[in-house]
Amino acid sequence: MPDWREIVRDRLTPLRVGEKRQEDIVAELAGHLDELYEDMVRQGRSEVEAVRFASSSVADWAELRREIQLAANEGVIMNHRVKALWLPGVWTSALSMLLLRLFQIPWAPAPYVFWLRNGMALVIYWRWLLCLPLIGALGAYLSRRAGGKLLDRVLAASLHILGLTCVLVLGFCIGLVLDFRVPLSLRLVGIAVYLLGWGITPCFLLLLGALPFLRGDAAESGQVAASQ
Amino acid sequence: MRDTVIRIGPQIKRGSAELAILSVLAEGPLHGYQIAKSIERQTRGLLRFNLASLYPLLYRMEKRGWVKGTWEDPPGGRRRRYYRLAPAGKRRLVPLREEWAQFFQALNRLAGVTHA
Repeated sequence: MPDWREIVRDRLTPLRVGEKRQEDIVAELAGHLDELYEDMVRQGRSEVEAVRFASSSVADWAELRREIQLAANEGVIMNHRVKALWLPGVWTSALSMLLLRLFQIPWAPAPYVFWLRNGMALVIYWRWLLCLPLIGALGAYLSRRAGGKLLDRVLAASLHILGLTCVLVLGFCIGLVLDFRVPLSLRLVGIAVYLLGWGITPCFLLLLGALPFLRGDAAESGQVAASQ
Repeated sequence: MRDTVIRIGPQIKRGSAELAILSVLAEGPLHGYQIAKSIERQTRGLLRFNLASLYPLLYRMEKRGWVKGTWEDPPGGRRRRYYRLAPAGKRRLVPLREEWAQFFQALNRLAGVTHA
């Protein structure tokens, strides 16, 4: 009789379900193949036929591995993504926008306004910019605490600015198509300045704050979340 | 004669498989191989589960709290993982049976109209 446990382990693992769960799954599936094999032998099939029959109950081991991982992690993946990315991202976005609105009220200290060519102006809310490292740190910290990997932490820290940058670029592209009155060179200067002021600089400051929380037990915490 | 191919969507397939598993577990705890054999026997071989189709579904149902699997070591027997219907599974079974009864009634009516 073949060593079904060894066969299953060889073809099915590694599974991203945690070590104990993996051993349980291997033992259970091996037990099933064992029962099937013995059933076939009891019905009068030769051992070779019985082994072939039992083996044929899994046509594609890679597909079975994928299905089992999806089933075992159902709900966990979504919850993990929500906890490690979206919740920290939403918190930092809300805090950042709240602070920006506070610095925009009439009696707040005036922002710096840089006048550029052709009447373009870049408004710099420098107090808001100074807060961004703290906000980035908060996002990355919350993501790390929830078991977020490096990419989750980076995105959680900078989600709203990335969103804002996408909107700016999209607006620029739509403007190119719909409005021909403004020269292209002026548009390019405009988008470059706005990207620098509202995209690159805030993003840099957010990630600067997030930096201490980008290191650490990313793989370990991801494994914990996957094995829950 | 040309073969007739009935294409059933994944939702219906999964729904019918869930109903089959919950129904056999409503009769008592079974391990995976017994679940497959029981379904095959009760449907006279029309519904068959193999290892690849059974276990991902069982794990999914376990994750949802519909069934509960526990290892048991009977004296002198093989160590097996037995599945029992959990309270959530019992609650799920009632509407699932009703949905499928309605589904088959609808198909029967449709078939009646088609053949009239």
